[in-house]
Amino acid sequence: MEELFEQLAYCIEYGKINKPSPFPPDMKDKDGADEITQQLLNEGISADDILQKALIVGMEKVGVKFRENKVFVPQVLMSAKAMDAAMAHLKPHFANSPGSQKGTFIIGTVEGDLHDIGKNLVAMMVEGNGYEVIDLGTDVKAEKFIEAAEQYPGAVIGLSALLTTTMNNMEEITKAIKSHNRNIAICIGGAPVNQDFCDKIGADSYNPDPQGVVEFLNKTVE
Amino acid sequence: MQSLISDNIVRKRFSVEELQITAEEVESLARMDENLPSYAGFIEDELLGRLKNASIQGGYLIEPAEVVDETIIIEGNNFEVGPTIAGALSNSEQVAFFVCTAGNEISERVNELNAKGDWLEAYLVDVMGSVMVETAMDKLQAIIENECVANGLRITNRYSPGYSGWNVKEQALLFSFFPEKFCGITLSDSCLMHPVKSVSGFIGIGTKVRYRKHACSQCNATNCIYRNSKKHCDFSHLNG
Ligand code: B12
Repeated sequence: MEELFEQLAYCIEYGKINKPSPFPPDMKDKDGADEITQQLLNEGISADDILQKALIVGMEKVGVKFRENKVFVPQVLMSAKAMDAAMAHLKPHFANSPGSQKGTFIIGTVEGDLHDIGKNLVAMMVEGNGYEVIDLGTDVKAEKFIEAAEQYPGAVIGLSALLTTTMNNMEEITKAIKSHNRNIAICIGGAPVNQDFCDKIGADSYNPDPQGVVEFLNKTVE
Repeated sequence: MQSLISDNIVRKRFSVEELQITAEEVESLARMDENLPSYAGFIEDELLGRLKNASIQGGYLIEPAEVVDETIIIEGNNFEVGPTIAGALSNSEQVAFFVCTAGNEISERVNELNAKGDWLEAYLVDVMGSVMVETAMDKLQAIIENECVANGLRITNRYSPGYSGWNVKEQALLFSFFPEKFCGITLSDSCLMHPVKSVSGFIGIGTKVRYRKHACSQCNATNCIYRNSKKHCDFSHLNG
């Protein structure tokens, strides 16, 4: 079993989606995330074990390599795709036993901003690390974040912005959420954002990369 | 000195074909590692297929300018560009305002691919859009340069609001020099241009100005995702 977990983690790390997928070359004609996940389920392994002992392990490796500039966006997207193939098998099981995921993360690009590559990457990495992700899309107003937070108590909110002008909206949204309920944790990120700005607007965490949010969530969410 | 100022706003359309974008430059900018499979076929198909008729266009307008400390004064309007850009433009006697877009087709295609779960493909098309607008802008800049050289003038690099201490908010002032919806581009309250794959800015013109080659080592955008990547230095916006 350990060996299958390891193989599955490897598939996620390198983006081996299924048997026909040609990548990575050294795994040509071998089973991918799709087949191995099915095989593990067939052997009676729980969805939660598969998630914790294989998928998250693989995804974490990608997150760390991305942070260290050892891999770039395309590799992360390949891994996300392999993750998605595995999750397609697991999701029906999670639907039956709510709470088996680690927690909920609500993410969106702030009002006035339409950039979404960075936000999508963060969403994929967080999901790949075992959290339920509610993606509100781009150009999201404060009310929408608050509404979602009401619907998912205990969820952490992530805000993304790519322009200095929309950083101002990030500040307003953060203040609106905090005045609604100051216990809601807010993480922020995006090219022009930094730690000083985070401290200034009263957000809980700034991270330059997706792995940072994952670590923050692992610390914050029980 | 020669004056290039006229009431005419020049507007150009570009075809995807004439931009001669190669799969290699897209893959390199997207940071596709050598150990990833090649998507050259996909990129070429998109360029010749779905994106073939993208509404790529841009335009410019030349106005007299005066540089005082960190401010550039154009027709009574003050652009607070900060020390770096003011320094680079210091000997400019005129300024060419520009805007350029790769059109909305890119974002439409990106959304379509993302909805199908083809994230890597969507990302590549997104990068293609960035390359398209920058390459179109290179062409527009070459047109401006030719006009200047023919009149014994030289140009500086191009500079955009949102870079090097020039507040992105001043884009509103820059856009006020163009007619509404010029080249199909609109500006939101938060200074975001639609279509997303658009750029704006200006280029200094004068007898004594200088064009500088970009070097990552001299750029302060240390967290730029393209820093020290192979080919990105050809693109001024993409290198921070
Ligand atoms: C490609 C690019 C362009 C392209 C395409 C734009 C697009 N997005 O489609 C083009 C050439 C069109 C362009 C144009 C402009 N751009 Co531009 N562009 C970039 C560039 C080089 C990369 C952006 C990108 O795709 N990054 C890739 C993704 C993966 O990174 P990311 O979004 O930052 O996300 C990562 C992190 O930030 C983080 N993250 C993101 N969200 C979140 C959320 C949370 C919660 C967390 C924890 C983390 C996190 O994780 C992600 C993964 O690591 C950046 C500089 C840079 N190096 O980032 C400038 C940049 C965004 N642009 C900038 C500017 C100013 C502009 C223009 C206004 C310039 C102009 N006047 O023409 C225009 C505006 C265009 C418009 N529509 O209004 C500035 C913005 C700063 C500012 N002052 O506001 C930047 C930062 C460059 C700079 N000056 O340093 N641009």
